Amino acid sequence: MTIREKGYAHWEGQLKERRFPWAPITWLGIRLAFKRKYFKFIIFSSLVPALVFLVGIYISERIEDFQNMFRGNRQFFEVNPAYFKTYLCSDFLLFMMVMILVVSGAGLISDDLKHNSLQLYFARPLRKSGYLLGKANVIVFFLLLLTLIPGLAFIIFKLLFAGNFQFLASFPWLPLAVVGYSLFVTGFFCSYTLLLSSLSKNRRYVSILIFTVYIFSDILFAFFYDNYKKPAFALISLKANLQQVGSWFFRLKPAYAVPWYWSLLILLGFGIVAFIVLNRKVRGVEVVR
Amino acid sequence: MIAEISDLRFSYGDIKALDGITLSLPDGAVGLLGPNGAGKSTLLRILLGFLSPQHGQGRVLGFDIRLEQPRIRRYVGYMPEDDCLIPGMDAVTFTAHFGELSGMPRQEAMKRAHDVLFYVGLGESRYRLLETYSAGMKQRLKLAQAIVHDPKLLFLDEPTSNLDPQGRKEVLELIKDISSKKDIQVLICSHILSDIESVCSDVVILNKGRLAAQGKLSELREVHYRLYEIRTKGEGPGFSERIKGLGCRVQETEDKLLRVYVPADLDIREIFRAAEETNTQVRHFVRSQTSLEDLFARAVGVD
Repeated sequence: MTIREKGYAHWEGQLKERRFPWAPITWLGIRLAFKRKYFKFIIFSSLVPALVFLVGIYISERIEDFQNMFRGNRQFFEVNPAYFKTYLCSDFLLFMMVMILVVSGAGLISDDLKHNSLQLYFARPLRKSGYLLGKANVIVFFLLLLTLIPGLAFIIFKLLFAGNFQFLASFPWLPLAVVGYSLFVTGFFCSYTLLLSSLSKNRRYVSILIFTVYIFSDILFAFFYDNYKKPAFALISLKANLQQVGSWFFRLKPAYAVPWYWSLLILLGFGIVAFIVLNRKVRGVEVVR
Repeated sequence: MIAEISDLRFSYGDIKALDGITLSLPDGAVGLLGPNGAGKSTLLRILLGFLSPQHGQGRVLGFDIRLEQPRIRRYVGYMPEDDCLIPGMDAVTFTAHFGELSGMPRQEAMKRAHDVLFYVGLGESRYRLLETYSAGMKQRLKLAQAIVHDPKLLFLDEPTSNLDPQGRKEVLELIKDISSKKDIQVLICSHILSDIESVCSDVVILNKGRLAAQGKLSELREVHYRLYEIRTKGEGPGFSERIKGLGCRVQETEDKLLRVYVPADLDIREIFRAAEETNTQVRHFVRSQTSLEDLFARAVGVD
């Protein structure tokens, strides 16, 4: 291999301050996620419920045409806030979100820690907040694709299929609830993933951790709830907490008789811990005192 | 002027990493030397803005090291010592990515990435996954990402580590080319003294967090002492001791050659007098060029 196959030339352009210095990190993260094994399959599988619910919205407007098929199950096709909550807080959707985090989110920080690339990032005009925002936005992109986009699409298609604005007049706060809950669940999963990703240099451990913490918290809740029948055990489960807060967003009675704000506090607590840990872990140099 | 710093102090807990460093780094290629724990890396990290000094102030390329860190990083290229990569990427995407982060438009960064990869000798393998790169190739890649945005100043931390002799020669040639012909200032932090000697005109030596020596290499060699190589026959007792008594430092090599560091103000004839008085025949007396190794050893107080 010879060096200087080509001479060095100065670059004629001018370096500019980016409005969104995190943007290259986000786009790179998204591109790399699509290169991962099974990721495309997971993301498309995650969109299947959205398709099913969309068909549900269509049927709800043409229920007379389908009455022979569904007979007594008409209530399933009643499109109301509960319909949206069922989609956005469904076990399957939350599970698929976790799977996306396992595949695309686990290595976001741990890979940089393992391969010492943090110092390359911070040798650029990039602040810690910019770096974290760039990484978090990779998760934001995929999770909003599964929550916010279908949620808003449901409302738009409901209006289109109905041909009037009666639905929106009945639930004028619903678009806000969809936006609010989508951002909340995405924000939580961002802090959850980045926190765990910063704890290890090994992407596999982080993947296992992301999956296990979510599943194990739910198993633990199921175990205690089945044995002691106390709804307060719902606070152990990440899934149940997200569903409790979801109920509040959609103005529905929570599934468990525990105030929704306790769940909110627990999830926000995760966010605060994540902020503190990330602030300590993510730095240009490892300072050994 | 690359950088000016004054009374810079930094401690890791009770350990003083930098203890009142004041220096100015001139244009060109400057070598930063010092034994382990001398404070080189800490100084480099402060100049880059990774660490904020606890005391003192400084400017890099005219920008304040406390207040204008992002601006410093925009115009500085940094090649770290450790292997750094992002798995799953090829060299072009990797290099262009860091060009973009420095403020280059995406397409320009991509174009420039190709150019610098050819420049560092990775043209043929620029589409290979980084995980498959050898240690030497990773070293070149680090250099490519450091120069992709055409920096005004390059910080190179151990640029030739992990390279075979040929690769080392080529990278040094490249650094020489960049620093001498391309109007890019270079600060090289290295343990390999011969590398510094072959590339740098100026040198800064740190020891235990303090400045041990600084200046033009040629001047530093001259000012402090002169080095002579002496071969003797029938050395009478105490020849070495006698010349040590005159203020010289004496090193004996394996083949019985005496390397004598003579203070600037000592008359050379005193050495011959000492030989005569100790019945020693001087068979070989040659003035030798002091190496950076000698200078380094003297500055940090080791043989």
